[in-house]
This record gives sequence, C-alpha cells and structure tokens, in this order.
Amino acid sequence: MNDPIMIEVKDLHFRRGKTQIFRGVDLQIPLGKITAIMGPSGTGKTTLLKLIGGQLTPDRGQVLIDGQDVHKLSRRSLFKLRRRMGMLFQSGALFSDLDVFENVAFPLRIHTELPNAMIRDIVLMKLQAVGLRGARHLMPSELSGGMARRVALARAVALDPDLVLYDEPFVGQDPISMGVLVQLIKKVNQALGLTAIMVSHDIKEALSIADYVYIIADGQVMSHGTPSTLDVNDDAHVRQFVHGEPDGPVPFHYPAPDFYDDILAPAGQFS
Amino acid sequence: MIDRIALLGRGTLEMLAAVGRAGLFLVQSIICLPSREGLHLWLRQMHFVGVMSVAIVLVSGLFIGMVLALQGFTILVGFGADEALGQMVALSLVRELAPVVAALLFAGRAGSALTAEIGLMKATEQLTSMEMIGVDPLRRIVAPRLWAGFVSLPILTVIFGVVGIWGGYLVGVKWLGVYDGSFWSNMQDSVSFVGDVLNGMVKSLVFGLVVTWIAVFQGYDLIPTSEGISRATTRTVVYASLAVLGLDFVLTALMFGDLG
Repeated sequence: MNDPIMIEVKDLHFRRGKTQIFRGVDLQIPLGKITAIMGPSGTGKTTLLKLIGGQLTPDRGQVLIDGQDVHKLSRRSLFKLRRRMGMLFQSGALFSDLDVFENVAFPLRIHTELPNAMIRDIVLMKLQAVGLRGARHLMPSELSGGMARRVALARAVALDPDLVLYDEPFVGQDPISMGVLVQLIKKVNQALGLTAIMVSHDIKEALSIADYVYIIADGQVMSHGTPSTLDVNDDAHVRQFVHGEPDGPVPFHYPAPDFYDDILAPAGQFS
Repeated sequence: MIDRIALLGRGTLEMLAAVGRAGLFLVQSIICLPSREGLHLWLRQMHFVGVMSVAIVLVSGLFIGMVLALQGFTILVGFGADEALGQMVALSLVRELAPVVAALLFAGRAGSALTAEIGLMKATEQLTSMEMIGVDPLRRIVAPRLWAGFVSLPILTVIFGVVGIWGGYLVGVKWLGVYDGSFWSNMQDSVSFVGDVLNGMVKSLVFGLVVTWIAVFQGYDLIPTSEGISRATTRTVVYASLAVLGLDFVLTALMFGDLG
C-alpha cells in the first residue's frame, strides 16, 4: 500500500468478560479508499468499529486517526473528532421519535448554525441521493429494513464526513436492496472522496466494492490484500472464508464430547 | 468457604461499582446548561412523564381519600370525635399518603416506561449512534427525563392531595353527614403550611429525584437484550418502591421525629 494512511491500529488487545476478542490486531486504513474488514461471525468486527470510534477502550494498543490517539482524547475532543465520522449501524439505529427528514437533519441541526432553508436543501439532496426524498415524512417504524438503512446512510453522510464506518451494511437485505446499497456505498464514496471502513461477511458484495481487505479470525489479522490477491490466497483460513466452505480451520461443530460416546451414554448419565 | 468470601467480596465490589456509576451518571446528566432545544425536549417529557400520569393519580387520590374518610369515621365516631375527620384526612394525606402513594404510582406508571424506553433505545443502537453523531445521550435523552420526573412528581402529589381531601369530603360530609363547618375549620386549624404542606413537598421532591434517577439509570445501564429490558423494568419498580418507602421513614423521622 502506498496510499497515505488515515487510520492506524497498533497491537490492539481487547477482552470482554473472559473472552479474549483481539490479541494484537494491526491495521492500516488508507485515505480515500474503501477498506473491508471481513471475518466469520463472532470475531468482533463490530467491536473493532466501536474501538475505532472510541466507544470502547482497548486493554492494550492504540488507534490513531490522523495521528491522534482516539483513546487518549478528552470526552470533548472525542466528540469533536466524531463530527468528522459517520457511522452506518447494522440496525440503521434511526431515532424512533423523529421522522425521516428530521433524522437526516439531526446532525446538521446539532453541529451547524445553518438556517432552516439550507438544512432543508441539504437534507433533500441527501435523501435524493438514496432515493427516498418522497419518504421524508414517514416515521422509522413505517420503513422497510432496506429503506431504514438507506435513510441511515443519508444521515451518516449528512455532515460530509471524512470517514464513514459501515457496520454490516448488507446483512438481512433482499437482493434488490442489497444491489442498491452496494451501488450507493460505492457512489457516495467516490462522489465525496470518503475514507470508508466496512465490516462485513457478505464476501461477494464486499469484495466487489472494496479497495483493500483485511480478514480477521481468532483475534488476529489472518490475511490482507486487494480483493484480487485474496481470491488466489492459499491460507486455509482465507480459503475457507472466501469460498464459504462449511468446515475447515473454523470448525462446523461446537466443541463437544465424542459423538459415538455421547449417543451410547448409559441412562442416568445424560448431561 | 474461601469461595464464599470471594463471592461476597465480588458482589460487594460490583455493587459499589454500580453505585459509583449511578452517582457519576446523575452528576453528568443533571449538570447541563438549559438551552432552547433542551427546554423543548423537557416540555415533551413533562407531557409523557407528568401529564400522562394525571389520570391514575386522580383516580387513586379520590379513592384513597374516600377510604380514609370511611375508615376514620367509623373509629372517630366511637369517641364522639367525628368532627375531627377533616383534620385526620388532611394530615394523613398531606404528610404521608400523597407523597408516598403518588411516588409509588409514579414508579409503576412513569418509571417503568422510562426504563423500557431508554433500554429499547440502547438495544436498537440509538444511543450509540447519537454518541457517534457527537451528541451526548446523557444530555439529550437522560437529562430532560430526569428533570421532568423531578418537577412533575411534586405537582402530581399536590393533585393527589387535593383530590384525596375532596374524596374525604364527599364521603365524610355528603354521605356520612359530618357537619361541613367543623370538617373544614378543624382542617384549617391543624394543618400548618410549613410543618405539614412544605414537608410533604420536600418528601415528594426527594422521591421524584430518586424514582426518576433509578428509572433512567436502569434503562441506561441495562444489558441490551429483551431479557435485559424486562429485568431492568422490574428492577426499576422494585428498587424505586423500596427506596421511596425507606426514605419516607428517614425523612419522617427527620421532620416529625422530635414532636413526641
């Protein structure tokens, strides 16, 4: 990678309860590119986004955004830094007491002193980009899952951020809205020149728009590279994941005693 | 044995940590400069927390006042002291029943709703997304609710007391035939503004703060699953009710303890 680096994650360690989620993760996120972070469910991809956004604090290691250590910032500076970030949540996370228009207008009203007429124009432009200008008066409960995520995308880019974090943007979408979202993310990214981090396990969709990919498993970076280099990677983890093989380094079975012994266990010894 | 001691120690540490979190939470959310936006949010919560609780407070207040008059009359009439009915109804309501029962109803009606609402916002990542937008949810979500509870419970208590006294009047004077001149004048003579009414209001201010604090904290601190929300809602009602009853004894001892 020769591109300038916007975010650097160094030697990140994090545990939740008794589970060690990350043991030494190193990432470099290039400026102005879409970087996909992929891995099986339960590898802590969303946790990683929360660590980058400063919502969780690592046990060891650093997250540097433009050279600033996110976890050493005061609450005030952290909130200031977050104004430059947009985040698209898995559930959309729209505010349920505000309609579509007000949801998208929310960051503008909070962070700018713009007059109402201008806020209206910006919101309508963002909604037009995601194709939902006509849905501006609907409440979040009246939207389908795909529409909610498009509104959330419009809200995430309302302030024209430098960095957008996408948390599983394609999960649970029908083929049409999936296609729409893939195109939208790509288009929005190119148009605004954003740096994007996209956490996903939808391989085909993610690889089709990502410029660079990290694969995480067992709390570490298993492999990284451009989508084309990953396709021909020989590593067992990478192959299992990229080609969707049911069994491999990530076992199909949850750890259990021997199947034969279990079936033939004498009565009274069932557990 | 060692295990049990360790368990006790861990339980105590966890409890202390929760108390510390709750304290910090209260300080962080209550200290926020009022803005026009904040005023608007507060008014909306006043509607949800306060105005929507008026119906239940009206009905309960009326019945409690009527029952008080009925029970009081049957006892007082045995001593030929039935004209003291007004005084008995008013003092029990103003000093005890209005602040305590209104707070218990408030915990059940508004407290549980606050916990569930904030908990659901947490479960659907609304609080997280608000933080990522750069808005402190303590300010925007918690503070207006906390202030709304703190302000509305004393008002609800006044409504409860007034309706209760009216209920007592209906039963005592209109139905049982106590002379209404003595009903009102005995009440006027014996209820003092500072000693009784103001002390009752102080109680309801304390209860308002404690009940709402417990409710919003339980919502903010819960485990964001459906089971977590249901547990936190139950905890809100149980903790808030116990806190109200316990604090009521402490406050009563402080306010009226030296009379006897």
